[in-house]
Amino acid sequence: MIELKQDRLVFRFPDVHKDATVSVEFQRTLRIPDDGHHYPLPPGLGRFPIRHVDDFAGRVPERWIEHGGVMLPMYQSEALWVNFSGRYPCAVKVAAGKIDAVTGKALGAGLARRPQNYLVTPEQPWLDGYCVEKGVIRQFVAMPLGAGYSAEEQITGAAEFGGLQIVVHPMTAEAYERLRRLRDERVMYRAAAPAMALTAAGMTMGMGLAPGGRMRQEIFTDPHHLEDWDQAQTNRCFVHLANSLVWRHVTGHEPPTVPPTAKEYSKAGLPWFEYYGAGESAVEGSGILAKLKSVVQMGKDKGDVPLPENESVSAGPVVELRKGLAKDEVREGRF
Amino acid sequence: MAKSFGDYVRKRREARRATDDAFSLRQLAQRIGVEPSFLSKVERDEVPPPSEAKVVALARELGEDPDVLLALAGKVSSDLQQAIRKRPELFASLIRQLKDQPDYAVLRIVREVRDGKW
Repeated sequence: MIELKQDRLVFRFPDVHKDATVSVEFQRTLRIPDDGHHYPLPPGLGRFPIRHVDDFAGRVPERWIEHGGVMLPMYQSEALWVNFSGRYPCAVKVAAGKIDAVTGKALGAGLARRPQNYLVTPEQPWLDGYCVEKGVIRQFVAMPLGAGYSAEEQITGAAEFGGLQIVVHPMTAEAYERLRRLRDERVMYRAAAPAMALTAAGMTMGMGLAPGGRMRQEIFTDPHHLEDWDQAQTNRCFVHLANSLVWRHVTGHEPPTVPPTAKEYSKAGLPWFEYYGAGESAVEGSGILAKLKSVVQMGKDKGDVPLPENESVSAGPVVELRKGLAKDEVREGRF
Repeated sequence: MAKSFGDYVRKRREARRATDDAFSLRQLAQRIGVEPSFLSKVERDEVPPPSEAKVVALARELGEDPDVLLALAGKVSSDLQQAIRKRPELFASLIRQLKDQPDYAVLRIVREVRDGKW
């Protein structure tokens, strides 16, 4: 079952194990420049508000009701990252427009190893974008579905789904108990851790996620056995992305304010982040995703300037998270 | 195992402080808008837990579930209070009926995010 609790999706598998829970939230953040440079991790600026799509039937596209799930508001060219929390190991597939963000392939059933098509929590605390190279992602950046920028449109040629899709499989209870026995009792800390108008002509309110600037982030390889995952147990959620400019019209509530630009943030001397795994290795980047055009590259082809405020910035100071810490010792958040 | 609200908050804060100085008593107090001396007293259970808003702010800073921290503080969030006040008999009856039920039975009545056809 999936519960929406205080703008977090709580995936529970009570039939597997009483501890089998993982929470997923979507953090607002600044958009890093799409300039070919590699940036450290930007901060979390708070959770996006999330609502059940069923509560707004008649005001959201019929297809959203058909898909079920939830929705959140994003401005055009706004970025987000996905934050996972929970101790119970889970295999999590993240797709945007039903394109797997790790492999670049169409979201399919089941878990695969070559290439690995999922993330492993709690080892993987977050995901900021498409895995384009080993240790490098391209930031998730919202663009109107149908404008041709999203990974989905670049790969499939169609603007059919948009949004984000999250699919979770828990570890089997047996594997979990075995793992618990193996591990020392250590402090295991969970941290709580990112313009257009709806016209009578029917502008699309749905957004897709396009590949933005490059960021240093590793997608860790699965340290467990494939059979440790209970693939018979699946919870999945369709997260629709609504243009923030229509959020108020649809929900009656104001969307969050526009986040600061990378330039404003850096000028204020606020911190960026680097995350160090505890010896985990990283998956290779996806050849499919590496070939995608970034928003700026696609904009040039179209003779468009899709990203305002895209000047390069000097990121710093950089807070190094988990550097030198042993596995499971402490998992730190971004704030 | 933390025994009280103050003890729980102190243990969580100190765990965070082990890797991040932003979780010193002074800095955390500043972020939630209280005096460091007051937060220190809260952590030592010398004063009652702070207001709902401060408890929620503490929960957000520490990465804890606000409902859990509020419960430890002996409080119920105002949105839940409003819901109960609106239909007191119904919710009182519901909670009494469910109080001894196992988690999975309670979870059956929680609103789920509906999955559809993708």
